[in-house]
Amino acid sequence: MTHGAIAASAGVMRPPVDREAGAGVYNEKLGMWVFLGSEVMFFTALIGSYIILRVAHPEMWAPPGKVLNVPITAVNTFLLICSSVTMVKAFASAQDGLQRPLCLWLLATCIIGATFVGVQAFEYHHLIEKGFVPSEGLYGSTFYTMTGFHGFHVSVGVICLSFVTWKAFRGKYTSTDHRGVEVVGLYWHFVDLVWIILFTIVYLI
Amino acid sequence: MTEMATRGTIAEQHTHRDDRPFIRRYIFSTDHKIIGIQFLLMSLLFLLLGGMLAMLMRWQLGFPGRPLPIIGSLFPEAMVQNGIVLPEFYDSLVTMHGTFMVFFAIMPLLVGVFGNYLIPLKIGAPDMAFPRINMASFWLAVPAGVLMLAGFFVEGGHAAAGWTSYAPLSANSEYSGVSTGQIIWCISLIVLGLSSILGSFNYITTIINMRAPGMIWFRMPLSIWSLFITAILVLLAMPVLSGAIIMLLFDQTIGTHFFLPPKGGQPLLWQHLFWFFGHPEVYILILPAMGMASDIIANGSRKPIFGYVSMVLALLGIGVLGWGVWGHHMFMSGMNPTLGTGFMISTLLISVPSAIKVFNWMGTMWRGNIQFHVPMLHAVSFVAMFVIGGLSGVFMAASPVDIYIHDTYFIVAHLHYVLFGGSLFAIFASITYWYPKMFGRLMSPRWGKVHFWLTFVFYNLVFFPMHQLGLHGHMRRLYDPTQYEFLKPLQPLNTFISISAFLLFASQLIFAVNFIASWFTGAKAGPNPWHDNGLEWTLPSPPPHGNFAVTPTVYRGPYEYSSPLVEEDWLPQDRRLDRSPAPAPGGHR
Amino acid sequence: MEPLTDTPLAKPRAHHPPYIAIFAGLAVLTMTELIVAFLPWHKRTIVILLIAMAIWKALLVALYYMHLRFEPNRLRILAVAPLPLAVILVTAVITEFRW
Repeated sequence: MTHGAIAASAGVMRPPVDREAGAGVYNEKLGMWVFLGSEVMFFTALIGSYIILRVAHPEMWAPPGKVLNVPITAVNTFLLICSSVTMVKAFASAQDGLQRPLCLWLLATCIIGATFVGVQAFEYHHLIEKGFVPSEGLYGSTFYTMTGFHGFHVSVGVICLSFVTWKAFRGKYTSTDHRGVEVVGLYWHFVDLVWIILFTIVYLI
Repeated sequence: MTEMATRGTIAEQHTHRDDRPFIRRYIFSTDHKIIGIQFLLMSLLFLLLGGMLAMLMRWQLGFPGRPLPIIGSLFPEAMVQNGIVLPEFYDSLVTMHGTFMVFFAIMPLLVGVFGNYLIPLKIGAPDMAFPRINMASFWLAVPAGVLMLAGFFVEGGHAAAGWTSYAPLSANSEYSGVSTGQIIWCISLIVLGLSSILGSFNYITTIINMRAPGMIWFRMPLSIWSLFITAILVLLAMPVLSGAIIMLLFDQTIGTHFFLPPKGGQPLLWQHLFWFFGHPEVYILILPAMGMASDIIANGSRKPIFGYVSMVLALLGIGVLGWGVWGHHMFMSGMNPTLGTGFMISTLLISVPSAIKVFNWMGTMWRGNIQFHVPMLHAVSFVAMFVIGGLSGVFMAASPVDIYIHDTYFIVAHLHYVLFGGSLFAIFASITYWYPKMFGRLMSPRWGKVHFWLTFVFYNLVFFPMHQLGLHGHMRRLYDPTQYEFLKPLQPLNTFISISAFLLFASQLIFAVNFIASWFTGAKAGPNPWHDNGLEWTLPSPPPHGNFAVTPTVYRGPYEYSSPLVEEDWLPQDRRLDRSPAPAPGGHR
Repeated sequence: MEPLTDTPLAKPRAHHPPYIAIFAGLAVLTMTELIVAFLPWHKRTIVILLIAMAIWKALLVALYYMHLRFEPNRLRILAVAPLPLAVILVTAVITEFRW
């Protein structure tokens, strides 16, 4: 059993060869999942506080659609879900070794992601003009903090995605090593997942 | 006469000379060993600073109204007037003593230093899974520390709402008189939180995925088990604190109302969020100490650790149960009493795994060939002091008792018995133990023993009487005890504690000098001065960049001391014994 | 080192999960949520339905887009590990305000 041969054929997107059995995936993927665990707890603090405060003082919230713009945000939600699709298509292209589609799907994800942030920012501007500000009370405090930090996470995602897209255009990803695409994809889908929860419990309930 | 590690499974050179310039090797280093040492130097400075703040507090408590000798004039008028510490500054001292000690001294000493230094070495890895993120983790902690220091110099003074920063006192500057200082406190801890989270996911990934062949889970040293579970606690608890502090920061700055009552905010929400983080935090502050103490006690007893599997299960038990006990910090907050009862039960339960560990340490030492080297002295006293701290914890767990002793010096005694008597003694043990590996020289054993005995005696003289003070009703964070008639008779005890504290602080000078001087003039250390079985002791002191020239193969657990299989009283994990197949994991013949 | 441009002929096309079908599911669920949110039903019913649909959507993203359905069990356990803690925190503190 020559470990040299096994090492060469295993590739970097498999668990490390000359090590005890771990999680069964390569380091970068494991690292991202572990990091996402911390992100779950971060949003738990924010969203959990929202739930708790709303249960304590339900009368401080307006019915859905009264203050917040549900139609535009619904479109925005749809956009973000689309970006998850483009992201996963990019990953599939990377797996198949298709360079051009990989680059284009990644680019599409970046653009849609940036659009999402733009629409959110536009919405904030509109709401603030209407007088719905963070200091108005519990509704404003929780709304802006939750969606604001989600937007911040999306923005960081767009920056990382730009970096990955740039690398893709330079041909740095192959069918045997596209770790960056998978790992940034995991982060991006997580951000989408959080929004799925947020849209429902902030805008529709 | 010991064979070195046999040929590894991959015959590549993993180690290489580090030819990069000085700045890349020692300042912006990605080598976990250098990063560990960087954390060590930073944390020791903050430990010293935290101690100095405590000395100022003890002067005020021991000699209220008496001007500070010599240094009184060095402080600005806003802090110290006519040599006397002002009440507002006293509140800042209390707050910053706790903040510096918890976040910038003990936590980085245990997790940042030993997590970084020991994990790759003890599991047979060349470095952490993500070396550059590791570097980022340290270089985020530095500005966090600098920012926290800067808070002393802003208008209004530093944060003064306690290290627990309860809202609404901390959220509204009209209540505390402090505005910028509280904001700085918040921002600094958010940055530090990010540093910790980056570190923790690195540690977890490394331990899960990068163990050398043969290093199965139940052959890992307890120090690594404890660091693993601690990293999970950091990963999941720190973000909750970050979230809570962000909400507090918004209450302070942009007018939100999370914790401010006028528009529906809930002060209790802050307490729940803080302590949901805060209780796992205290296990973060003790678990690595327990793990490293286990390694040292087994070594000093020349015996395997008693009940290795139950030690691991106890660590896991503490790690899991620790999430369900946070309310015991809030028994007097006005929270739902039924919820309180739930927390009382879970808190009483969590004493069980800790007790199991204590019995196992004693079982390890029983009939051992005990070597009272300096780390062993500290490690054994760690066990004894932790028992005292743990026992007082059982009193507090019972909420009817806590009604009486909450926020008194009984709590102060408890927390210092577990944090100083527990964590800090384990830290002294561990620094002394791994110093030769880090720096290639041994610390002076004679001065180490002098430091130990002086510290042990003065430490108990300072903190044991605090139990009495607390039971008599002496409150925490109290500026002038003599303003209360019922506390006046206890004032001599306060003075006694203060004098002991000054002597305790002075004794640490011995450790500091020993630490610094040994780097220059300490006896040169070979690879394995303690005759320990861990993988790091198979390497030169200090180990080369990349650690292992050949990936080690592990054949047994780390506690095979006094094994019948060999002549020596120690048997390294990676030593292959030709005449027998690899023994079963964790056990002896 | 693999060549920079792989030809699809060099290796067989991997079998991908039905990404577009999942997308359709997500779109349908989102539409349904929008409708349910504004129906004249009892608030509690609406809330339960909406949360159930949100969880369903989240599961679709996690299992298929994040590939948890196809990952080793150890990784799946790791991924869900923080969730019980979130539940403990929120349910415990809610009892402060609603018993």
